[in-house]
Amino acid sequence: MNPKDWAQIFAVIRLEIWKTLFSRRSLWVYLLAFAPVLLYLGHSIYAPREQARLAGIAAAHPVSTEVLNSISNGMSNNVVIEKLGEPYHQHAWHHRIEGGRSNERVIYKYTDGKSDFTFFFFNGRLRHIERSKPETLPNNLLIFATIFRFYFLRLAVFFGCVGIFTNLFRGEMLDKSLHFYLLTPIRRELLMAGKYLAGLIAAMAIFATSTALQFAAMLWQFNGQTAGDYLAGSGWGHLISYLGVTMLACAGYGSVFLATGLLFRNPIVPAAVVLLWESANLFLPAVLQKLSLIYYLQALCPVAAAPDSSMPPLLVLLISAAPPVSPATALGSLIIFTLLVLVVSGFRARKLEINYSTD
Amino acid sequence: MAIYKHTYKNYTGARTETWSRFFILTRFGFARVFQSKFQLLFIIACLFYPLTCAAYIYLSHNAPFLAALNIPAARLPQIDGRFFYFYSIVQGALAYLLTAFVAPNLVSPDFANGAMPLYFSRPFSRTEYVVGKINVLLILLSLITWIPGLVLFDIQASIAGWDWTTTNLWLAGSIVLGQFVWIVVLSLIGLALSAWVRWRVAAGALVLGVIFAGAGFGTAINGLMRTNYGALIDLTQVAHTIWSYLFRYDTGTEMSVTSAWIVLGLTCVICLWLLAKRVRPFEVVK
Amino acid sequence: MNDDRVSFDNVSRFYGEVLGVNRITLSIPPGITSLVGPNGSGKTTLMNLLTGLVRPTRGQIQVLGVEPSEPRKLFRLVGYSTQFDSFPRGITGFQFIHSFLQLFGHSAAVCTKLATQAIEQVGLTEAAGRKIVGYSKGMRQRIKLAQAIAHDPKVLVLDEPLNGLDPLVRAETIALFKRFAAEGRHVIVSSHVLHEIDLISDRVILLSGGYVVAEGQIHGVRSEIQEHPMQVLIRCDRPGALAAKVFAQDHVVEAQRLADGTGLLVKTRDADKFYRMLNQIALGDIQIEGVAPADDDVNSVYGYLIGDEEAAK
Repeated sequence: MNPKDWAQIFAVIRLEIWKTLFSRRSLWVYLLAFAPVLLYLGHSIYAPREQARLAGIAAAHPVSTEVLNSISNGMSNNVVIEKLGEPYHQHAWHHRIEGGRSNERVIYKYTDGKSDFTFFFFNGRLRHIERSKPETLPNNLLIFATIFRFYFLRLAVFFGCVGIFTNLFRGEMLDKSLHFYLLTPIRRELLMAGKYLAGLIAAMAIFATSTALQFAAMLWQFNGQTAGDYLAGSGWGHLISYLGVTMLACAGYGSVFLATGLLFRNPIVPAAVVLLWESANLFLPAVLQKLSLIYYLQALCPVAAAPDSSMPPLLVLLISAAPPVSPATALGSLIIFTLLVLVVSGFRARKLEINYSTD
Repeated sequence: MAIYKHTYKNYTGARTETWSRFFILTRFGFARVFQSKFQLLFIIACLFYPLTCAAYIYLSHNAPFLAALNIPAARLPQIDGRFFYFYSIVQGALAYLLTAFVAPNLVSPDFANGAMPLYFSRPFSRTEYVVGKINVLLILLSLITWIPGLVLFDIQASIAGWDWTTTNLWLAGSIVLGQFVWIVVLSLIGLALSAWVRWRVAAGALVLGVIFAGAGFGTAINGLMRTNYGALIDLTQVAHTIWSYLFRYDTGTEMSVTSAWIVLGLTCVICLWLLAKRVRPFEVVK
Repeated sequence: MNDDRVSFDNVSRFYGEVLGVNRITLSIPPGITSLVGPNGSGKTTLMNLLTGLVRPTRGQIQVLGVEPSEPRKLFRLVGYSTQFDSFPRGITGFQFIHSFLQLFGHSAAVCTKLATQAIEQVGLTEAAGRKIVGYSKGMRQRIKLAQAIAHDPKVLVLDEPLNGLDPLVRAETIALFKRFAAEGRHVIVSSHVLHEIDLISDRVILLSGGYVVAEGQIHGVRSEIQEHPMQVLIRCDRPGALAAKVFAQDHVVEAQRLADGTGLLVKTRDADKFYRMLNQIALGDIQIEGVAPADDDVNSVYGYLIGDEEAAK
């Protein structure tokens, strides 16, 4: 590639990046990307107040942690009240079942001033106990890791890349404006490379900024000492890893959706297939698991999101540990996969024809 | 035909009734759906599960067959509310995917190709337009949800006898109501997003994203805020709550049925508002 | 294949089972060449083939020695104003021209200069700062034309360029085409406005059903249509006497007196013989006031070659 080729690629990037970053169509991408930032900000504001509230409740209705831990499944609500006193909050409801009967469910809430204990009763017997973890930095790092893997990578970055990268070719076809590019003296492969890079810069800018802001919002609730110690230790390394994973996800998913935009008239069908494949990744045999982007992305995440008994079963299932793969292998596989897909896209771009009536 | 031939005459035959003219859009919508082999195959594939259920219902009453396989009838899952609850989950998920494939092709192309002024410069209202388009989804989704569900109920009723039928007649109502509400919500979401973004690919992505991203974000809210309110933005959980109530199958969900109905109602209102705002014969260019 | 020609060598293009164009062999010299034909005859397909927007199923195409599969060379030579009335969203007329000029590798200053010149040439300077979505149809047509000429191409391909233009702008645009052609460039135009094609074209290519029905200078094409005798309109003082004289010639098949009695419409199988005979008659006692071919134009040729086919269908 000579300097003129690069000049043309930069010209395509300049043309595209404005459209991608600042068009009204991109609003929902911003919403997907920055919703978790708002969530973390809200939590950082809410968590200290919640802690204060629990401390206040504990002061008014003191219950020790040992007594709370002594409650076990199978106990009746009367026994629990006898041991712990009246809960600070209770809620009961009935669920109608067949035969004209109904199940009674009751929730009792207690606190030791640090954690919230929720006891779930089913027809008078304790069936399940949920204990909220204290708002410590390690717990929040675990939750961050879980939300990053479960929501941010698999859904926010995924759908954001669908929106950004399928627009590059398929969107122009639907707008009937792609032919203007094909009537310029630029090789089709360079056009594809320029569009991909423009989409990548836009996606990385949006989602990496979101990752950094989420991280900052998550740390905001902690005092300067705690946050400072963490950053001085592994904190910056974690942040850089998360940013790197975000960017690699943009590159990998971006290449896939650029290709689907070129290869398929309706790229939503293959996007749905990819979505289902990535979601079902954990159920697949080990060999097939390696055929998904999320498998390698997860391997590069700095904090392992371990299953937690208080988390919903779906979440537990989704964050089950995959067979380990080294970071170097994961990185290499992601890069090789992305480049391969781009090469295929380049071949396809070369054979592109303009026939708007079929769309 | 050259103008000089002057053989054009006004149409003097029978005209379509005014009240049913919206159905013209439905017909053309179906023509477009069935042009796609993939969509046609997908619709057929959506009927595999109901067929499997029908076979199960039949075989579960087939004493010689069970005896040959040495399976006691009492050990088999009963055909009850739980059975139809899980039926609703499977077919509801397929209905959602079908909406993501079909809905973007209904309204977005009309915006992209400047067809809205053509429709509304005729004696054709926006309501008729929306009803005509939404019928495509309602009919297609009905074909894979409550209609086969009623057929299954009918098969079970005819085999199990009059007593079973009279005791479980409420199931038929639950099948129709539960699944019809879901397909109405899906259809409105599909149409509204298709009208909002005006671009087929983005509409499809948004329809997929609304459910998946909503579920994911809801779980993120629950995990971070230690609450259960995040489930309210997960439309699948909302639907499951309503089905759990209608089919009298206790899944242990903490979401109240009232909240679930309110969420679905709000979703419908928002979608109708989006449609009212976007489906217009003109476009404002700034 | 010549380096100053646009050549099609046995080119066919099928869209599935639908014929776009079939076995087209053409060699288009510099000047204004018009593609004429009914809807669906293959005009746009031919233009798309020559600019590489579609690939031929068979055959070879060269534009001044460059194949359409080499966009880097081709689009420095070719400018194409397509039939599509759609544009990238949210940009002004100036931004539209300027941004695509950047893909030619020019600096921003050069792009600005070229864009401004092109916009001036099509008379859109005042509207250049407005968004294209707010343009009228004629303005959109002109901005497409500006985009096609901005990089000073040697071959200009224009699909119905006069659509939506008011008479004044039409005249200016036609003058622009003539200027281009006079500079030795190729201007390939498709249009349905046959009298304008008559005015501007050096050559025509008539297409029907994906085939080339006729090509060449209009007079040459007309003279080869033997099934339809040439029609000549003669204004004179004694049409009856003239009719008797011309009808005596065996190459004259019909002589019809005009309704206003001021002349004759004569049909002849041999136009050259007829004009020589008319010269003789003019030396006699009949005052001939005017002689003009009545069907030596694109409209008539179109009607004979393509109208007959359509009628047969």
